Amino acid sequence: MTRHILVIDDAATVRLYHRKMLGDAGWHIDEAGNGLEALERVTGRGAEPPYELYVCDINMPKMDGYAFVRELRRLAGVPQAPVLMVSTEAQSQDSRAAQDAGANAYLVKPARPAELVLTAALLLGDAGAARRAAAQIAAATAGAH
Amino acid sequence: MGLRKPAAREALHEVVERALPRDIEGLCAQLHLGNEAERRWAARDLAGVAAAVPVLGRRLRDEADPRVREALFTSLCASAGEAAVDELLPLLRGDDAQLRNGAIEALAAMPRAVGPRIAALLRDADPDVRILTVNLLGELRHEQVTPWLLQVLREDAEVNVVAAAIEVLAEVGGPEHVPALHDAVRRFPADPFIAFAAEAAAGRAGGG
Amino acid sequence: MRSATATRRPLISDADFLKFRDFFYRKTGIHFDESKRYFVDKRLVERIEATGADDFRSYFVGLRFESGGAELQELVNTMTVNETYFFRETYQFDCMVNDMLAEITRQRRPGSRIRIWSVPSSTGEEPYSIAIYLLERWRQIDDYEVEILSSDIDTQVLRQAERGVYSPRSVGQLPKPLLDKYFTRTGGGDWAISRDLVAAVEFSRVNLTDPADTRRFRDIDLIFCRNLLIYFDDLSRRVAAEAMFDAMSPGGFVCLGHSESMSRISPLFQVRRFADAMVYQKPLEGGRP
Repeated sequence: MTRHILVIDDAATVRLYHRKMLGDAGWHIDEAGNGLEALERVTGRGAEPPYELYVCDINMPKMDGYAFVRELRRLAGVPQAPVLMVSTEAQSQDSRAAQDAGANAYLVKPARPAELVLTAALLLGDAGAARRAAAQIAAATAGAH
Repeated sequence: MGLRKPAAREALHEVVERALPRDIEGLCAQLHLGNEAERRWAARDLAGVAAAVPVLGRRLRDEADPRVREALFTSLCASAGEAAVDELLPLLRGDDAQLRNGAIEALAAMPRAVGPRIAALLRDADPDVRILTVNLLGELRHEQVTPWLLQVLREDAEVNVVAAAIEVLAEVGGPEHVPALHDAVRRFPADPFIAFAAEAAAGRAGGG
Repeated sequence: MRSATATRRPLISDADFLKFRDFFYRKTGIHFDESKRYFVDKRLVERIEATGADDFRSYFVGLRFESGGAELQELVNTMTVNETYFFRETYQFDCMVNDMLAEITRQRRPGSRIRIWSVPSSTGEEPYSIAIYLLERWRQIDDYEVEILSSDIDTQVLRQAERGVYSPRSVGQLPKPLLDKYFTRTGGGDWAISRDLVAAVEFSRVNLTDPADTRRFRDIDLIFCRNLLIYFDDLSRRVAAEAMFDAMSPGGFVCLGHSESMSRISPLFQVRRFADAMVYQKPLEGGRP
């Protein structure tokens, strides 16, 4: 059963990049342009399987990433899933704010492909994908020495 | 029972004595003292009132309710001008994502007023401010947008600022900007996202 | 020998289509996939020619940088299908009688008032459709007093709505028993709606972006605002959403057009999904519905 991921970012290129990295790992990717649209996608899920991971930007128009996570965590009748926040903000207070809002992990943009995939795989509990991504990172590190 | 038309001249709602008069002073007081609904009404009623711009701006810093904040931003949009820009710019530096992004949306509605401030914002020491400014350019209807973006591409030291500029250039740029995109990739050779984004943007801007 | 050069129609390249698609999705939330290519290209070409632009690029730059947003509104207009007729998009009326009214009346005494606002009224098909639906398909219609308010900025269409005469095309979706029950055939082959229904709707001239017009609307339980906001510019949409929000009772619902979304308009409302439709709700006092 393929896992479903929702990628949330107002930048089309970032959505495309995350779609490529995560899609290559074998997961099904949907997109939303801001937190509000993401909530609509989640709420509007009919017969499709629920999302098992959200990959979410912070700065977006209409509804930012923190507000999205807070609203997501309060949604009734929707299975909760981990949220991986990916944002340009490098300050440590932002990763704490992400945690406070209910996110599970935080990566600084631009995320290295293998790092993004490994973090996603760990949050999804996808052991195969995690092993492959870890091996990629190890090979890259070994290559660098 | 069933369908009923309101009687002619019947008020659609019970007329309640206002606690505060609906003049500027009364509305400013209601902006601080009322409940959530009353603060929203006060914010909306102050739209387009030039003297109220600093009051609306100050309230944004103190107001915690996200729905009242929305009304404050919308009303500042209606008073587009230098005074509104002065109230909105400081929010770009704050900790609050809703205020940062709300400020960008509001500033996007006032291109003539914010235009003179863009150059300085693009040189700001804080890369997050520069990123937000580039995001603003993505929504701004101003003839200098493309030159500003090209300047970022040439000069900004921070990879995420350049990435944001590439994103906007994908939309507003043309074939003549493709070399600038390639130059940007050369400045950040270690970054796979920059290469990816520049390639995607070149595809969009290049046309055909 | 010289031949007259025919003016070539502008071409929409793959890259042009993608550029347009990203822009349109960002502004409206509407996504066109590859299967809509012909539909989109045809209309882009129409707009390029209508505006006198040389090609897609110059049209797009004009669109992106114009002040005022008039061409964007034209473009949205042409990209979305906007006909009005009786029983258009009935899934929302089903949602009204199956779910939304049940929630609204949960805390209401029998005999109390429910207020529905249809805006824009256009030529009346929507408010009258609501009235018919309530009378025919809401089991509790006799237990409450329902007010139907309907507004439009255009006094001409309001006059037509109050006249209540419709073409065969306009009533084409109505089941025949309902057509026979609520309309009479006119000499000219049109259909005149029952005067009782005309009397049941309160029409008014309202500009949704003018607080002076919207201020007096209060305690609205259900708003149908279908295929209006999508034609507004960014600021006007926000102002209209603010006006609707404050006009509503806590727990009240808003229905937009089927291709519209609050995601590009306003975060004031919470999205709710029912069996028949996805709608937007003003939070109940003190938090979540």
